Amino acid sequence: MTFLKNFINVLSVASISFVLLTAIFAFIIYFNLLDGKIRSKTGIAFVVFGAISAVAGIFIQPLLYFAVAYFLVLWGCAELGPRLWEPKIGLWILIASALGFGLSMLDPNFYKIAAKPDNVPIGAMIFLLGFFTWVALRKAYYNDRQIAAGGIPWEKTESDEKLFTWPDLVYTEMLCMIGLTVVMTVWSIGLRAPLEEAANPTTSPNPAKAPWYFLGLQEMLVYFDPWLAGVVLPTLIVVGLMAIPYIDTNPRGNGYYSFRERKWEIGLFLYGFLVLWSFLIITGTFLRGPNWSFYGPYEFWDTNKLEPLVNINLSELFWVKLLAMPLPKLWLIREAPGLLIVFAYLGLAPLLARGPFRRFYLKMGAPRYYVGAFLFLFMLSLPIKMILRWLFNLKYLVQIQEFFLNI
Amino acid sequence: MKPQEPIPHNYPMRKLNLIFALSSLALLLATGGLVFYDYVRGWKWFQLEFNRLQQERIDQELGAKYDEETKARLAELEKEDREGQLEVARNRNAYVTAQKDLEQWEGRHYAADQDYRFARALLDAKRYEVEAAIVQRRADRDAKQRDYDDQIEKVERLNLTLQQVTRDRDAARERVGVFLERMRAVEARRKEILTSIELLEKQRRQVQLASTNLILNAPMLDFINPTLKIEQVVLEDLSIDMNYMSVPRVDRCMTCHRAIDRPGFESKAEAERLLNAIQNDLARNLLQPSRRGDAEARVAQLQRIIDAPTQILNPFRTHPKLDTFVGSASPHPLLEYGCTVCHRGQDRATEFGRAGHTPASRRMEIRWEKTKLPIIPGPWDYSNRNYGRTINPFLDTPMYPRQHYEAGCVKCHAGQVDVREGDRISEAMQMVELYGCPACHKIDNWRFTDLKKNGPSLDGIAEKTTPEWAFRWIASPQSFRSTTRMPAFFYQRNMVGPTVPSAERAQNVRLQDAEIHSIVTFLFTNSSRRQWQGGGAGDPARGKELVDTIGCMGCHIAQDMVPGEDGEARFARRDDFPLERHFGFNLTGTGTKTTPEWLFNWLKNPKGYDAHAPMPSLRLSDREAADITSYLMTLRKSAFMSAPVRDPDPGAVRGLAKGYLINTMTDTQAESRLDEMSMHDQLMYLGGRTIEKYGCYSCHDIKGFEELKPIGTELTIQGSKNIHLFDFGFAHDHEAWDGKKEHILHTVPSWIYNKVRSPRVYDDKRTKPYNDKLKMPNFQLSPREAEMITSVILGLTKERVTQNRRAAGDARMRQVEEGRKLMAQNNCRGCHVVDQRGRAIGALISDPNFLPPDLTPQGARAQSPWMFDFLKDPTVMKIRPWMQVRMPTFEFTDDEAAVLVAGFAAEGHQPQFDTMRHQMPPARNVAIGREVYAMLRCQQCHSTVPADPANPPIPDISDTQSLAPNLTFSKPRLRHDWIADWLRRPDEMIPGTRMPTNFPRDPETGGFQSPLAMAIDTPQFAGFKAALLPHFENEEALRRTMADAIALTNYLRDYVWSVGLDRTPAPGTMPQRAVPPSAPAPVPLQTSMPPPSPTRTAATPGSGTVPGVR
Repeated sequence: MTFLKNFINVLSVASISFVLLTAIFAFIIYFNLLDGKIRSKTGIAFVVFGAISAVAGIFIQPLLYFAVAYFLVLWGCAELGPRLWEPKIGLWILIASALGFGLSMLDPNFYKIAAKPDNVPIGAMIFLLGFFTWVALRKAYYNDRQIAAGGIPWEKTESDEKLFTWPDLVYTEMLCMIGLTVVMTVWSIGLRAPLEEAANPTTSPNPAKAPWYFLGLQEMLVYFDPWLAGVVLPTLIVVGLMAIPYIDTNPRGNGYYSFRERKWEIGLFLYGFLVLWSFLIITGTFLRGPNWSFYGPYEFWDTNKLEPLVNINLSELFWVKLLAMPLPKLWLIREAPGLLIVFAYLGLAPLLARGPFRRFYLKMGAPRYYVGAFLFLFMLSLPIKMILRWLFNLKYLVQIQEFFLNI
Repeated sequence: MKPQEPIPHNYPMRKLNLIFALSSLALLLATGGLVFYDYVRGWKWFQLEFNRLQQERIDQELGAKYDEETKARLAELEKEDREGQLEVARNRNAYVTAQKDLEQWEGRHYAADQDYRFARALLDAKRYEVEAAIVQRRADRDAKQRDYDDQIEKVERLNLTLQQVTRDRDAARERVGVFLERMRAVEARRKEILTSIELLEKQRRQVQLASTNLILNAPMLDFINPTLKIEQVVLEDLSIDMNYMSVPRVDRCMTCHRAIDRPGFESKAEAERLLNAIQNDLARNLLQPSRRGDAEARVAQLQRIIDAPTQILNPFRTHPKLDTFVGSASPHPLLEYGCTVCHRGQDRATEFGRAGHTPASRRMEIRWEKTKLPIIPGPWDYSNRNYGRTINPFLDTPMYPRQHYEAGCVKCHAGQVDVREGDRISEAMQMVELYGCPACHKIDNWRFTDLKKNGPSLDGIAEKTTPEWAFRWIASPQSFRSTTRMPAFFYQRNMVGPTVPSAERAQNVRLQDAEIHSIVTFLFTNSSRRQWQGGGAGDPARGKELVDTIGCMGCHIAQDMVPGEDGEARFARRDDFPLERHFGFNLTGTGTKTTPEWLFNWLKNPKGYDAHAPMPSLRLSDREAADITSYLMTLRKSAFMSAPVRDPDPGAVRGLAKGYLINTMTDTQAESRLDEMSMHDQLMYLGGRTIEKYGCYSCHDIKGFEELKPIGTELTIQGSKNIHLFDFGFAHDHEAWDGKKEHILHTVPSWIYNKVRSPRVYDDKRTKPYNDKLKMPNFQLSPREAEMITSVILGLTKERVTQNRRAAGDARMRQVEEGRKLMAQNNCRGCHVVDQRGRAIGALISDPNFLPPDLTPQGARAQSPWMFDFLKDPTVMKIRPWMQVRMPTFEFTDDEAAVLVAGFAAEGHQPQFDTMRHQMPPARNVAIGREVYAMLRCQQCHSTVPADPANPPIPDISDTQSLAPNLTFSKPRLRHDWIADWLRRPDEMIPGTRMPTNFPRDPETGGFQSPLAMAIDTPQFAGFKAALLPHFENEEALRRTMADAIALTNYLRDYVWSVGLDRTPAPGTMPQRAVPPSAPAPVPLQTSMPPPSPTRTAATPGSGTVPGVR
């Protein structure tokens, strides 16, 4: 039991769980939505990646745990294939995860955090998210099969029928209303409003947490300077969401679930929403404790736990570690490598337009393509920065204290 | 038109209807649950339960009231009533006629009364019309005026009629009344008996669970006028600081603690204490006659509580100190002070956990947490005092646990040295001062600032002791003197304790050895080395006698073994003696510690060795000093000196010194610097740094460390610190220094308690570098001491109360408190009673005639000029020349003496100076007073023969019963009015005084009685009567005066005033500071008293003359 708890504690460390989740995301698309095979180029690439981490795991224990979990998931996804979308399997997954959650509640440390009245809705959110994603993907998968077989999507088969407003619409709405009222009432009786101490400017709570829907942003603060994580990225998220209908002009897949017809659109959205947003909220809620240190789900939130502050900037990495010389005095020279990388990264957009993204460029036209590619690059900057932090303890690519500019 | 095809429903209707039915039912249940959850509150059960208790009480009282006697009386009245009825029946016809007549008159009276009142109402209306008509200059104003005048007439007429009818009706009533007279009398008597019973029954109806109460408290109806409701007190000016704003305090504690301000629900122990107190008051006639009845009723009530089979448990208990708190007549009435201002906790909460109750012990915590159903407590738990989850971790101000209730006093009473009725917290504050907490920990309030250093100066340590002794002492002070206030810094649990790995332990011992050696080397190298000249051989037996009798024991102890609880002797603890006697050190072992030469000079003149020495001079003669020296030198502890002193480990010294050096230089520089230093130099360097590290200079004067700040955490608002600021480390259960098991609760009080009790406990199981380990020394506090100190620290909060709520805030009380603070610092309570507490020395003096005086009434008693002189030099007047205990010469500065004198005067509500000392009473008063003096036989004890105040003749002390001050000293010393007051009530002013109470109080009226009222006419007093008569108009006036205690005491006062001396000697010059010459020249010898000054000689001529008597 202790081993299992320790196993899960290690897996849930942000770096590992993030990569694992990204991998699972890719597996599900490849094996379960696109009917991929292990004996294929992509399948072998997955295995090779896992093998590399297993070898590295000989030296770094967490990576070993990662490799074990990785192969378990890989095996599961490949084995299940499209059967993942069968209700029976879906139910088993639900039962297994609920059981895991329920058994975990027996652990006092897990219980203390999960049963906090603040956190209960986030716990429920995990299941709701999983369920609705599964339902949507299941519908998409079967529709895709229908379409591939020359049929029409399921939604189209019933869209011609007419129904009465009463009782078919209003009655069911009312039932939902009653049900929701009952749930809210029972909830409000069962879990009391989690009131804490009077606000005090001299003693802020530890950890000081944002409201749950902003925990993703707060988690970004770990990797980005506040002006990026708190200003630029949230603005781009809002602007980007508003821009989607103008960028995405693909007429297919309207009014019915389909994955194959909108692979990139759905893939990107789900990755951004599930992995880059919801996952960060869940991490921020359950796994960030006092001092914003990371705590595994079965770990006690000990205030005394310390995280060593050993992050360094790219300039230090480049000049001091690589070239073994002091930092140049002039900021422009000092930060030249970082600035170069940043500009090069942004310069990827036109480069990609000529390379792998050429078909998008042709289909969308220059303005749409550049706006979309720009947003895409910004979105990807989050996982890239996270991985750079985990691999190299990288603090900032560019740090110009002279202008308070950190990237 | 084609008929429309039936469109199929998406869902089967039957299924939808079923879902609708079920979900509606669920909604109904949820709503019911909502109402239930809102309605069922814990506090309602407590109120119901208390109602039940009250009902029981009322039933008991009703039972007591309805005794056999009352029943018999009621039966008798019943019988009489029946007889009355029979009598009426016998005269039936006449009675009926009269009754009918009365009815008619009643009717007429009703009509006439109504007519009159209506006419009056009309009159008022018409007055308005007239006034309005006049103001508006209307044409009909004259008509209105006439109308109004008519109405006046009509009202008068009707009034006359009414009066007439009333008279007639009353006459008719009387005619009927004749028949009913007897029955009415019976009714009146019955009512007399039943009033209190009916009152009780009314109260019973309010608390019983009957139908009306059930309806009033029913769910959804209970908003109208429920009997179960939240009670609260709103306190505007005792606001709560919510960081951004102040909000009024709204205490709702009495919602559950219903009996808190109602006497009659005490615990048994409490009832017994109160019962004894009241019975004592009753026996001593201290209660006013009007309050005796109440007191007796209370005694009966308390007796019932004691006799009851079950205890009353909280929350239903009465506040144990209603006279001081909560009671409406107390200084802190409930409606003005509430509860949380003292107890803390969440004022508005009505749930056990949310209110912030704090357990006093682990046992209590376990009991509180228990529930039958997990988490959800209910009445089935409350009756066992189980409350489910108890701690509210988010509350900034949890309640003080039971043992620290008095911490709540500090917030308002921090400007006081003594808190009235707060003996424990006063003693605790004194303890904090005496043990030196504020020396290392800054406490920024009046009580704990401007204090003297707690330890002796170390600038001359080499003159009084040896390095070998000093090493052993620093290493373990408590093994030399088990009662010492010097704490142990070294070889504590975080250095050599069981949780330290053994390899580290050995290294730590070496490092600690090195540190002690360095301190000793530093102190002895820097010490002055004056040569002291001894006083020759003395007689130890006589020395011991002197130590025991002249007053050393007010501040010192000379004992280190005491009989233990099991009969075996054990080492003494500080707790075994009053706090005052720890002011000086324990005299045991003095012979081992010091040299006779130094001791002799120290005894003669402590300020000669150290100008800031707290020890005063007892004006010892050389002989006395030599005797005492020889006695103290016999108090030896040779075993202590045989403990081995390990040589300093050079590696450890070097390592530690390097540790400090590399803070400012590189490793190589430090190494080369150390290579240049000899071992002695290294020790000297390390010694300085070590003294800094441990803060030795906080308590001791050490040259070169004058400017350094104290090393401890500031404690000014320690009691307000949130729990997360306390590092609990990994400590839970542990064993304190005395082997007792302690448990650390996760509460601030428990943290502080364990911190002071085992200061290094939070290092248990931790891995820290040597210099980062906790440094607080071990005072070896007993659980009691630790609790008291914890109470004070908990009381130091950031809450600030408004000026008008602060105790002792006015100018007069500030003077009193300044005086008290100085008295505390000079340990006056070691010998004197001050404000009813103190006189630690009293336990060692069996004859109360030899006790140092009680200073409780001193402010009203003594004149300021005299007191100033006396404080400066106590030899100016020997009031009680037979006393062996000496008032020491403290060498107060003028400022200090003035503060003390002003404090006394303010305390006695007296002006500092008054004119009376220059005035003489009328000759008639003196003459009468002289006779009264003789009649009361005052001369049996008192003398009126003038004497030299500085050297009065010592009376025969074989008969200690008759020892009394010479009255000729009264005039320069005592306040004029006080003398008469004292004569009237000596025992009330100073309980247990030998001065007889000549004018006892009358238990009925509370006034004073005169013993001469009767005696004046007896033959024995015939001579006095004859002598007195010429001063009075007639014999009646004489008798009247002789019965008047006030007049008699005033005459006595005037007589005493008339025989008084006019002046007293001026205070002597300050004794010379004996600084020994560097050459071994003899120390200037001092006589037991300073040489007489010229002033003094002039003021007091030979004893044969009668100065001051006119």
